[in-house]
Amino acid sequence: MASAWISPPERPELIEALVSGVDRYNPSNVGILEDYLYHQIRSQEYDCLANLAILKLYQFNPDLYNPDVVINILIKSLSASPLPDFNLCMSLLEERPINATLDEPDPLPTLLPVLRHLHNLLFRCRFPAFWATYKSEQLENLRDNYTVECAGFEDSIRDVAIRAVKAAFTRISPQRLGSYLDLQGAELDAYVQRLGWAADASTSMITIPPNPDNQIEATVVQENIKLPQVTKIISFAATKA
Amino acid sequence: MAQQRMPLWAAEADIEEDIHDVDLSLAIGNYGQGAYDEAQIQPTQITEATLMAVQQHMAQQAAFSQIPDAVKNFIIHFHRAVLDNNLAEITVAYESGWNKFTEKFYAKTEWPEAEVIAPLVNDDPIFLILYRELYYRHVYSRLSPNIDDRFHSYENSCELFNYLLNSDGPVKLELPEQWLWDIIDEFIYQYQSFCAWRSKVKSKTDDELGLLAEGGGVWSSYSVLNVLYSLIQKSKVNEYITAQQAGKSPEEIAEIVGEYGVFPLYRMLGYFSIIGLLRVHVLLGDFTLALKVMENVELNQKSPFTRVTACHVSTYYYVSFCYMMLRRYPDAIRTIVTILNFIMRMRQYHTRSYQYDQINKTGDRMYAMFAMCNALSPSRLDDNIANIAKERYADAYTKMARGGDDALPAFEELFIHACPKFITANPPPYDDPQALAVLLSPSSPSPNTPAPSVQQDSSQRHLALFLADVSASAQVPTLRSFLKLYTSLGTSKLANFLDTDEEEMIQEMMVMKQASRSVSRVVGGEGTHSGTGGSKGLLDGETISTSDLNFVIDGNMVHIAESTIGRRYAGWFIKNTERAQRIFDDLRNMPLPQAKLTASGATPAPTGAHGGDGGRQQQDGRRGGQRVAWGGVKVGA
Repeated sequence: MASAWISPPERPELIEALVSGVDRYNPSNVGILEDYLYHQIRSQEYDCLANLAILKLYQFNPDLYNPDVVINILIKSLSASPLPDFNLCMSLLEERPINATLDEPDPLPTLLPVLRHLHNLLFRCRFPAFWATYKSEQLENLRDNYTVECAGFEDSIRDVAIRAVKAAFTRISPQRLGSYLDLQGAELDAYVQRLGWAADASTSMITIPPNPDNQIEATVVQENIKLPQVTKIISFAATKA
Repeated sequence: MAQQRMPLWAAEADIEEDIHDVDLSLAIGNYGQGAYDEAQIQPTQITEATLMAVQQHMAQQAAFSQIPDAVKNFIIHFHRAVLDNNLAEITVAYESGWNKFTEKFYAKTEWPEAEVIAPLVNDDPIFLILYRELYYRHVYSRLSPNIDDRFHSYENSCELFNYLLNSDGPVKLELPEQWLWDIIDEFIYQYQSFCAWRSKVKSKTDDELGLLAEGGGVWSSYSVLNVLYSLIQKSKVNEYITAQQAGKSPEEIAEIVGEYGVFPLYRMLGYFSIIGLLRVHVLLGDFTLALKVMENVELNQKSPFTRVTACHVSTYYYVSFCYMMLRRYPDAIRTIVTILNFIMRMRQYHTRSYQYDQINKTGDRMYAMFAMCNALSPSRLDDNIANIAKERYADAYTKMARGGDDALPAFEELFIHACPKFITANPPPYDDPQALAVLLSPSSPSPNTPAPSVQQDSSQRHLALFLADVSASAQVPTLRSFLKLYTSLGTSKLANFLDTDEEEMIQEMMVMKQASRSVSRVVGGEGTHSGTGGSKGLLDGETISTSDLNFVIDGNMVHIAESTIGRRYAGWFIKNTERAQRIFDDLRNMPLPQAKLTASGATPAPTGAHGGDGGRQQQDGRRGGQRVAWGGVKVGA
C-alpha cells in the first residue's frame, strides 16, 4: 500500500521525473506541479509526494508562494488520514515574514487553524463532529471557495470514515454509520449498497464483510529460531569435534 | 556531467556568482580582498595598499614566530603526509596529532591562521584549504565563531568543493574516510549553526546586519544542497550501489561509475553526501524526501557508511527520527534498537575516541525516542534496550505509558531532548530594512496582518504537530487496560466504566484500532542478507498490526482477543553458548603460566591476534564470529 503512496499509478512520467530528480528544486517547474495539483483536484486523484514538492519549492523560494495552492494541498491531504500526509505538509510550511506583495489579504492565516481543526477531528475519528464543523456557518468561506472545487471532496472524507469503520466493526447500526458519513435514509442505503455491505432486514444492522482488521483471534506467538542465528554455534561445534 | 548538474546550478543564479567570488578571492589571496579591490579601482591608493600589505606581512611574521616548534614540525609533517597521499600518516596526524596539539596549545585560542603557516607548506593551496577546514572546525567546536568566521568557513568549504568538483578531472588526493565524513558532517553542521544564528534577529550588531543584508547567498539552502547533489552525481555513488547490489564484477562497476567514482575519495564523499542530504532534509522538516534520498542505501551492517562509526550512528538517528515523524513507530523502534545495540557493543572499544561524547549524546537522544515510540506502539522487541530507556527516563516513561493528561508534558520533554536542531530555510528579511524593523518591534502590529509569530523556533512547530498526534491517542492506554479484562462486553457498560458518552467512546475505539495499525518496512525481517527485496527503499512498507490486543465491535458488543508471546529462550541460550565458546577459545590459547620457554616469542603473538579478533567479533556479530572460530582452529592446529 505504501508503494501506491510513493508513486501513484496515475502519476505522469514528467511528474515522476520531477519528484525523483534534482529538477524538483528548479523554481521554474513550480507551474507544472501546480497544474498537476489542479488536475488532481478535478479528477479525484491524489499524489502526496508531488504536492510536497510544491511546498518544498515554496519553502526555498518564498516569492513563489501561492496561498490558494497551499490550501488546496492541505485539503487534499485531509482525505489521507490516518496517514500522516497533513502533518508532512504542515512541516514544510515555515512561518513567513509578512508578505506585502500579495494583492489580496493572505487567506492562509485564517484558514490554517480551521484546517488543522478539521484534520484533528478526522484523525481522532470524530466524524459526526467533523461534519458538524465542516457544514457550520463559519466555514462557508472554505466550502464556497475551496472544497466546492475539489471534486468528490465529501466522498473522500467518507472514505476516511469507511476505513475506520471497516477495521473496527463487524456490524454497525445505520444510525451510527449515517452519522459518520453524514448520510440518511435513501442516500445512506444507496451508499451502503455501493460498498457492497449488506443490511439485515429484521434488525436493520449493517454487516461489514470480513477483512484482516476486523477478524480477531487469540494466538500464542511462538519463538522462531532462524538458522543464521545458530550458525556460529554449529560451525564451532563442527570444527572442534 | 556538467549538463546533468546544470538545472540545479541554474536554479539560483546567485550561487554561481558566489562560487566565482570565492574563486577570485583564492586567486587574490585570502581575507585582504577589500583593500585589494580598492587598489585596483583607485590607483592613487596603491601606496596605501602596499603599506597595508607590508604591515600585514610583518604581523604575520610576528605571529609566525609565536608558533611553538612542535606545532611547526607537526604541520610540516602533516603536509608531507598529504603530499605523499600516505593514508596511515594522514590518519595519525588527523586523528591524534591535531587533537593532541589542540589540547596542548590551542584549547582556548585559534590555531595560527592559514596565511601565517603558509611558508611552512610552500603556500600549497590545497593543504591550506584542508588546514582551514580544520581551523574553522576547531573555532566552531571550541570557541564561538564570529560573523567573519562564519562567512570565511563557508568560502573555504566552497573552495574545497570547487577544487574537488571543478578541477580538470578527478583530483589525486587521498584522505581517511573518517576525515571525509567529518568534512561533510561539519559542512552541514556549520550550515545549521549559521541558520540558527541568522534567525536571531535581535542580537545583531549594525555591522552584522549589513553583512547579512549583502551576503544572501552565503550558507543558503540551495548552495548546500548543490554541493551535496553535485558530489553524489559526480561520484555516481547511486549507480555504484545499485551495480553492487546487482552483483556486477569490479570491472563492470568501474565502467559504470566513471572516472570519478573509481576513486575512493569521491565514492565515499558521494556516500556521505547521501547521508548529508538525509540530515539536511530532516533539519528542514522534509521527512519523506529525507528517506527518499536514501532509497538506494541499504541499512545493514555491511554498508560502507558503517565503517565510520559517527556516520553509522548519525544515519540511524536521522532515519529513525523520520520514521517517528511518519508515525511509523515500529520501524523507528527497530532502527533505534539496532543502533543502540551497536553502540553498546562498541562502547568498550571507543571510549577514547574523540567522537565518543558525541556518539553517546546521540545514543541518549535515541533512548528518549525509543521511550516515546514504545509508549505509542508498545513492543517487546528488545527488553534490554527497553530497560535502559526505562531507567534513564523513568518518570517520563511511566507517564507516557499510562497516557492521559500527564503524558503530554512527558512527551514534550523527551521530544525536545531527542529532536535535531531544526532550521528555517529562509533568513529574516535582512535585505529589507522596513520589514526587519516590523519584525523587531512586534509591539506595533499593523492593523490587517495578524500578529506575526516572529521566526518562531522551528522545533516548536514540529513539536506541536507531534503532540497533536500523541494527544489523539492519549486515551488508548486507559481503554486498553479495561479491554484487557474482558473477552466481550457491551459498549454501554464500557462507557459507564470510563464515565464517558457511549458514542464518544466508540469513536475513541476506532482511534485505538487505528493506533494499533502501522505501515512497516519489515516483510522478511532484517538480517536476511538477500538484498533482492530491499531495493524499494526506506519509504516502502505494508500495514501491519502492532498490538497484542485486538478487538472488534459487533453492533453494541465489543469482542476482545489477546495474543500472547511465548517466552523466548533462544536469544539467551545463543548468547551464553557463544560466550562460553569465547572463553573456551581464550583459555585454549593462553600460554601456560609456568612455561617460560624461550620460544615464548611465538606464543603471545597468536594470543594477541586472537584478542583483536575477539574485539572485532564483538563489533559485528555474525561475520566476526566465524573468524573467531577459524582463528581458534588455526592456532590450535
